[in-house]
Amino acid sequence: MNDTFTITDEQQDYSQYDLDANPFPYSPVPAEDPEIYCGQPHVTEKISSTVSSVLSTGKSKHLVVTGKYGNGKSHTLKYTRSLLRDRDDVVVGYVAQPGEGFLDIYHEFIYDLGFSRVQEIAYEYLAAVTCDITDENPTGANEMESLLDDGEILLSEIVPETIRRLSDVTKFADFARAIVHMVYEDTNLYAWQWLTAEGIRYEQRKEMEIHSALDDDTMGVRAFTAMKNILLDLSYTGVFVFVDEFESIARLSPKNEQATLNSIRHLMDQNSNGLCMLFGCAPEVWQDVMSEYHAFSERIGQEVALRPLTTENLTELVEDYLSRERTSAVPDPAVRPFTENSLELILQRSQGNIRQVLSVCSRMLDNAASESQAEITADFTQEHI
Amino acid sequence: MLYRRRTLDLSRGALETPVLFPVRNIGKRSSDNTPEYVGTIPEFSVAMINTRSIRNREPMWNRLTDGVPLRKEMDVPEDTIVFADSGGFDFSSGDVDTTPAQTLDTQRQLDADIYGTVDLPLSRENRDAENDRRVEQSTKYALEASDLHDGDSLLIASVHGYDPQTVRNNIRYLEKNGHFDGYALGSMVPIRTDYKKVSKLILAARTATDKHLHVYGLGGLVYQPLLLYLGVDSFDSSAFIRSAGNRNYLVPGFGGEALRNVESMEYLPCPCPVCGQRCLDDIREDRTALTQHNLWALATELRRFRYVAESDRDIEEYLDLRFQGNPVTQRAYETAKQQVRRLS
Repeated sequence: MNDTFTITDEQQDYSQYDLDANPFPYSPVPAEDPEIYCGQPHVTEKISSTVSSVLSTGKSKHLVVTGKYGNGKSHTLKYTRSLLRDRDDVVVGYVAQPGEGFLDIYHEFIYDLGFSRVQEIAYEYLAAVTCDITDENPTGANEMESLLDDGEILLSEIVPETIRRLSDVTKFADFARAIVHMVYEDTNLYAWQWLTAEGIRYEQRKEMEIHSALDDDTMGVRAFTAMKNILLDLSYTGVFVFVDEFESIARLSPKNEQATLNSIRHLMDQNSNGLCMLFGCAPEVWQDVMSEYHAFSERIGQEVALRPLTTENLTELVEDYLSRERTSAVPDPAVRPFTENSLELILQRSQGNIRQVLSVCSRMLDNAASESQAEITADFTQEHI
Repeated sequence: MLYRRRTLDLSRGALETPVLFPVRNIGKRSSDNTPEYVGTIPEFSVAMINTRSIRNREPMWNRLTDGVPLRKEMDVPEDTIVFADSGGFDFSSGDVDTTPAQTLDTQRQLDADIYGTVDLPLSRENRDAENDRRVEQSTKYALEASDLHDGDSLLIASVHGYDPQTVRNNIRYLEKNGHFDGYALGSMVPIRTDYKKVSKLILAARTATDKHLHVYGLGGLVYQPLLLYLGVDSFDSSAFIRSAGNRNYLVPGFGGEALRNVESMEYLPCPCPVCGQRCLDDIREDRTALTQHNLWALATELRRFRYVAESDRDIEEYLDLRFQGNPVTQRAYETAKQQVRRLS
C-alpha cells in the first residue's frame, strides 16, 4: 500500500491559543459577503461619503478605488456591497470584471441581480399598477404573486397597462415587454435570456413581441438605463454598480477600450440621478485612463487609493480575524499567539499586502499548532515563512 | 394520472363523465343533418350546439320560438343532453353581436342542459394586447352571465389564455367573483398542432379547479386520450363530420386515413355496426355511414381508455403504445407525463 500521503479529516487543535479554528483563509480571496473589513480610514471615508451622497440626494456619483493586487480592492467593493444589500431602497450589482465591453458589464450586472430578483421587480411593478387601477393594494412582489395565483386580480386587466407604463418609463418597449414576461412561466426563461443579453432565437422574441436584439453596447446602455428608470419609478433611491478588475480593459484593443469607456460615459450622461458606480482598478491602468480618456475620467472625478497595510492596520486586522474564533475573553495581547515582533516580520515580508498577510498568518498558525508552539515568535516566523 | 370519473346531475338525468359531446351542425345549415347517433351509440345521448347559429337562422328560430322543441327539431329523444356553447368561435374575426343576457335567454329557450358563456377566442396572429383584451372581455361576459343565471342548467364559464398563468388566473378570478358549475377552455383549435402548449394549458386549468372541466374543439381521435389522461371531464368534436366530408376514415388507436389510400381493401378494419357488415365501396359511397363510423371510432377510443383504466392496467403504458407512432404527439405526451407525475 502506498503511504506517501497521509490524508485525514481530523481537525487541528487550536485550543491552546483559545481558538476554535484557524480564522485565516487558506486561500485569501474575498468572501462573497465579507464579515470583516479592516478599512483604511481614508478609503472608508471616501466610499461612505460617495454612497451617502447618492442615498441622501439621489444624484449620481461615482468613485474609483485603486490599489495594487492583493491590497483589498475586491474585498472593499464586496464589503461595501454587503452593507448596501441590507437596504431595501437600493439595488446593488457586482461585476467581477468588465469583459469585452459594456454589454458584458450589463450582462454581469443583471446576472448578479439574478433571475428571482428581476422577476420580483416585475411583480413589484405589477403591484404598483394594481394599486392604481384596482381596489387591491399589494405591498410587494410576494403579495402581488399571491393575488394573481389566487385569482383576486385579473392578469389580463393589469398587463396591458403595465406594459404601457413601463414603455413610458423606460422609453424602450421591448425592455418593458421582457420585464412583464418574467412573470409568465412559459416565457420567463426567454425573457431572462433576452434581458441578460444572452441572445434568443427570433421565434422566441416573436412570442414575446420583442422586436430588437439586445446585442451591442448601445443597446446595453439603453437596457441598463431602462432598468434603472424602472427602479427609480418604483421609488428605489438608486442603483449601485461595482465593477471590479477594471484594469482588464487594458487587455482590449484600443478601439474596444475606447468603445467601452465611451459606453460607460454615455451611461453616466444618461443617468444623472440614481446611479452610483464604484470601480476597482490597478493604479497604473487608471493613470492611463486618466491621461488618455479625459471624457470618461472627468465624469468619475474621484479616486481613492488603497495603500499597503501599516503596523497598526495589520495588528487590527489580525485581532479582528482571531476574535472570530476566540473561545474565551480577549487575551493579552489580543493578537496572541502572534507576538508583536512576528507581526512586524510578517508585515515586512508581505510588504503590507493584505492577501499575503492573511496567507502567511494562516500558515504560521497551522505550523505553530502542529509543532505545539505556545507563541508565534519572530524566530519561528523567520524559520517557517 | 389525472383521469377521473364523475357524475353530472342534470335535470334530464345523470351524465357520466368523461364524455364527448359530438358537435351538431344545427343552425349552421338549413336543418340539422348530422346523421343519427343518439340511441345508436349508447354513451352519446349528448350533443353540442351553437346558440348563436341557431338564433341567427331565422326560419329555424321562428319555429323554435313558435313552440317546436329543440330536440324535435334535431330529431333526437327528449332526454338528449344538450350543451349550448355561445358560438364564440364565430367571433374570432367578426364583432360580437350578442350579449350575455341575450345568449343566456336563447340558451334557456333552447332548453339546453349546459350553458357556455359568451367568449372571444384568441388568435395566434393577434398582438398580446389584443388577446389580453379578449381574455378580459370573455371574463366580464362570464361574470355577467353568472349574475343573470338562476336556472337548473349548468353554467360553464369559457376561459381563454395562451399561457398557463393566464388560464389559472382566469379560472381563479372567475371562481372568486362568480358562480359557475365548471369551466370550458377555449381557443385551443388555433394552437392544436402545438401539443405541448395545449397540454400545459389544460394542466393549468385542471390544477386551478376541481370543478367540471370542458375543452372546446379538441375531442378528435388523437387528442382524446391525452385529454382523458389530463383529467378533462368533457370535450366536443366535429372531427367525425369534417373527416367524413374529406373521405377520411378514423381508425381507433391510430388516426385518420384517406379512403383512397386503402382502396384495394374489401372490408375496413373496424367492426363497428356501420363497418362490420359492409364492404369498403359501400361505405365510401355513403357519407352518412362514414360519419357514423367516425363517431363510433371516437366512442371506441373513449371506451378503450376507460377499459384500460377500469381494468387497473397501467394507463401510462397504454399511452406509451398509443402515441408511439407519431413523434409529435409522443413528445407532447412525454411532457404531459412529466408534468402529471410532478402533480401526483
